[in-house]
Formats: sequence, C-alpha cells, structure tokens
Amino acid sequence: MTSASIRPLRPTGYAVLRPGPAAFLLHRRSLVAAGTLTLALAAVSLAYLCVGESFVSPASALDVVLGRPSPDELVVGTLRAPRLVVALLVGAAFGVAGALIQTVARNPLASPDVIGISQGASAVTVGALTFGVTSYTVLPYLSVAGGLLAALLVYLAAWRGGLHAARFVVIGIGFAIALRSVTTLFMTKGEYVVAQQAQVWMAGSLNGRGWEVSEPLGWALVLLLPAVAWAARAQRTVGLDDDTATALGVRLGRVRFGLALLGIVLASLATGAAGPVDFVALLAPQIARRLTRTAQIPLVCSALLGAVIVVLGDLLARRLFAPTELPVGVLTAAVGAPYLIWLIVRSRNGGTR
Amino acid sequence: MTRLSTRGLTLAYEDRTVVDSLDLDIPDGEVTVIVGPNACGKSTTLRALGRLLKPKGGAVLLDGQALAELPTRRIAQQIGLLPQTPVAPEAITVGDLVARGRQPHQRWWRQWSEADERAVADAMERTDVAALADRPVDELSGGQRQRVWIAMALAQETELLLLDEPTTYLDIAHQVEVLDLVRQLNHDKGRTVAVVLHDLNQAARYAGHLVAMKAGRVVAEGPPSEVVTAELVREVFGLDCVVVPDPVTGGPLIVPGRPWQPSPPPKTPPTDSVSSPVRTT
Repeated sequence: MTSASIRPLRPTGYAVLRPGPAAFLLHRRSLVAAGTLTLALAAVSLAYLCVGESFVSPASALDVVLGRPSPDELVVGTLRAPRLVVALLVGAAFGVAGALIQTVARNPLASPDVIGISQGASAVTVGALTFGVTSYTVLPYLSVAGGLLAALLVYLAAWRGGLHAARFVVIGIGFAIALRSVTTLFMTKGEYVVAQQAQVWMAGSLNGRGWEVSEPLGWALVLLLPAVAWAARAQRTVGLDDDTATALGVRLGRVRFGLALLGIVLASLATGAAGPVDFVALLAPQIARRLTRTAQIPLVCSALLGAVIVVLGDLLARRLFAPTELPVGVLTAAVGAPYLIWLIVRSRNGGTR
Repeated sequence: MTRLSTRGLTLAYEDRTVVDSLDLDIPDGEVTVIVGPNACGKSTTLRALGRLLKPKGGAVLLDGQALAELPTRRIAQQIGLLPQTPVAPEAITVGDLVARGRQPHQRWWRQWSEADERAVADAMERTDVAALADRPVDELSGGQRQRVWIAMALAQETELLLLDEPTTYLDIAHQVEVLDLVRQLNHDKGRTVAVVLHDLNQAARYAGHLVAMKAGRVVAEGPPSEVVTAELVREVFGLDCVVVPDPVTGGPLIVPGRPWQPSPPPKTPPTDSVSSPVRTT
C-alpha cells in the first residue's frame, strides 16, 4: 500500500516533459514508434531518390539533398525530389485526416475516401476537366472546394439535432456512391482525351507533380500545424462517451466540429494535390494505433505512416511494371481493399467497435 | 446551505415532459439519495443537475447562478458526474483513464502537474485500484471497472459528486462496497454526493437525505428515519409493505408483503384418484 503511494504516479505509459512552467504528456511507446517510423521514412525516401530508370548511388543522392554539387543533380534534384516531397506531404495529410475523421466518427471505417470527401473532390475536378479547365494551378483549388462541399452535404444530411457517428458514416458512404456516378457521368460526356486525363487523376497519381504543387500544399500544411497540435490533445476526450466527456467540461460539439473540419480540409488538400490516393487515410491511422497501443489514434505516427505508405507505394508504382508507370492510388487500393474487407468482416463477428 | 439546487425546473424529452417545475435542494456535505419507481424522472433530474440535459424551463443553480450561464469547464471544476453507462476508449489503461478525470484542471500547455499527480494517486488509493494501474480497462470485472470509473470522477476533485445508479450492474457485495466508498468520501472530505438508486433499502441505509420522486415531482424528502414509512412506499411505488427497524443499523427496513401464493389450498383433482401415488388408504 505504502509503496503505491510513494511511487510517482503519472498516466500509465506516459512521460512528462517540462519546458519551463509548461508540462506536456508524451506517450513513451508512441515516441519509440515515431522515432522508428522517421528512420523508416528516411530510408524509403532515400531509396525513392536512388531507384528509377537510372540508378543513383545513395551517397550521390544525399549530396544532391544537402546541396553539394553532384553529377546526378538533374535526375535526383529536378525529377525525383519534387515528386518525393509531394508524396511525403500528401501521405502525411491523408494520415492525419484519416485519424481525425475516424476519431470523430468513432469508427475505423470512416475515412475521407469512404465517406465521400475524395469523391466530392473528384466530381468537381473531373467536371472542371470536361469543361476545359486543365491547368494544374487551378485544379487543386477546385478539388479542395469539392471535398469541402461534399463534406458539408454529408454533414447537413446526417445532422438531426446532433451528429450521430454511425449515421454520418452510412450517409457518407451513400454520398460517395452518388458522387462517383456523377464523376462517371462527366467522364462519358467529356471528350476522349479529357476522359483519359481524368481517369489518371482519379486513380491518384503523382506523375508530373512538382514544386508548383508541393509549395502551396506545404504552406497550407504549415499553417494548419497549430490546429493539428490542438487536435492531438483535444482528441483524448472525444474517445469517451458523450456524458462523461461533457461532465469533464469538454465542449463536445465544438471540439468534434473542429476535429472533423480539420480532417476534411487536410483530406481535400491532399486530394487536390494528388487525386484520391485511396485507402491511405484508412490504413495509416489504424496501423499507427496498433503500433503505439494508445487509447486514441496517434496523430504524429499516423502522419509518418501515411507518408511511408505513399512514398513506398509510389516507388513501387514507378518500378513494378517499368517502363509502364502505375498511378500510386492503384497500389494503395490493392493493399487497402483487402484490409477494408477484413475490417468489415471482423466487426460483423462482434469484434471491437 | 445548498450550493446546488433547482428552481422551477422543467425537463422534457422531445414533447414528453418528464419533470415539471421542480424545486429541489441538494444539502451540502450530505449524501442525498434520490429514489422512485422506473421513469419517475430521477435519473433525468440528476442529468440536469450535471448539465447533461438542458432545462425546458426553470434552472439548475450552482451557488445561485444558472448552470446554463456558466462555462462548462468551470462547472466541471465544481461538479463531478458519473453517468449510468460510461464508455472507455478502446484499450485504455486504468491509470490513463483515471488521469483523464483531471481534464478540467489542465491546459494545453500544462498537461500534468503535481496536483494532478496527487489527485490521481489519492483517487486510485481510495478506490483500491492502484494495483490495477497498468491493466487495460476492458479486461476488468464489472466491480473493478465501476471502481475505476469512480476513481476517475474522484480525481476530478469536485466538491459535488453526482452518481447515476452506480450499483446497477454489480452483485450485492460490490454494491455494498461502492456505497460504503461513497459514504466514506462524504465523511472524510465532506463532499456533497447525490446518488440515484434503485434499491429502496440501500437508499434508506446510506442516505443522509432521502428524496422520493414520483411522476416528475418530489413526494417526500428528509432523513430516512422520518421519511420512510409504509404509506410512503405505497404512495410512491404502489407496494404494500411493512417497515421494521433494520436489525443492523436500527434504521427503517422495508419488507414487502407476503409473496404470491396460489389462493385456494391445493386440492387433489377428483377425476384422477387411481393413479395418484400419494394416496394411502
């Protein structure tokens, strides 16, 4: 009894970081996972820069990254690095977006590409393409608008004096299907070339995406960082039931709305940059949570894992059937779809939530 | 003195009014137990006391101020509430869950303090769950889990504590354990506790102040020894009973009327006299 009262007590598994008067709780296992994932991400990124039509030695690739003169400047610096940066940013954004939306919906099935956000972005983008808008400086903004619009529609349709998580998911799936048929309609109406272009965009491709895409996306993500830092903490309380969370002084409605909005914006931004890279937002948070074993979905690890999945996916997509290049979305879907089926089967069998 | 009270409180679900202009005071430093038949509005009232339900009319007052006008975080520093069926996040450990009771005292930049540490350690000690700190909540038995939830509410360190049927899913031994804990908390720290209970005898045993509700209004309130009578039980629950002194505490003990028995004494049917084995003539 006495030993228990003397032992310094903190929430099990957490370390406390005290810079000055502040104090932050850090989940130990998550720290280890984040460190490991960062190393894995660095390794995958380096491989991404080295492997391609021509092989570049890692040392030479590092030279380019560090700004030292290198004979591979063109291949690594001009061709591969910009695309890698897009892959990193898109993956991280999808990872966090999925984590937030799954948290709010309290459902591992809820991810932006399942509940209609990606489909909304697709419908608007493909619609714009068929009407002759082909500039890659305009299209991302349109898809962001499309994603937000779809989310708003789902939200309005699901709202009934309160937001019920299960209803939100089901209505979202309905909208996803409806919006997908709108996209198909646009494609059959459009010209052959446009339809072809739309087809590639819809599969989620990083081909030809460079600094002009990654720069605005990067800035947008930097601006959203404080919101993500808030979300990482706010998320803790949303996992409790409504009554308990309210009793603890949480303004549940506002917190949930803020988390969902952030997730939707992130997903729309990522979709705008790379098209709907399916299943990343679904997979990354769930794998991250299994790694960290936290009571909530870890945001940092979800971001890292999302980036690893997209970079690795795009690397494979480039090389697997070389010289033919697959859109990265095809690859992530090939891994993600079986996982989704497994999730559904498991929840049918009365598994956890 | 009462910090928490209701004035003209009207509560409704959609169009169905459950509680109609209720004036209720929760006396400070006492254990108040609210009893009544199913659907009498006792849990609804408790939820309103903890601002989980918005009043249709009237108000719940904390120190004379309507709860609706107070920031929910400020309320959470004064009133703790344990709902009937709380849900823990998947795979959360006991220590982590109890620590979340500190939420209203924490800030984004101050997520853990010595006060947090003390409150959590104290709450876990009192509820005897310190040894379970590293265990996942999903793996605990019903009684253990209820103690963990109470520990979380205690870690909140509020002067007022509201418990909605805290004994519902527990066996008799755990029920007594939880109620003893409530009484001990009230005694040691002078905390005001309001509990909704189903069992009238437990209410009579543990209440300092008993509130009997029926159809959304208070029928009687006061110390159990004065309030609990056979007439009251008949009026509130529609049950015939005898009230005798509790052999252990000396307080009122409700003994319901004789159990049902087949009214005419059993006769042997005349048609079947031959095969009947009990006949011995």
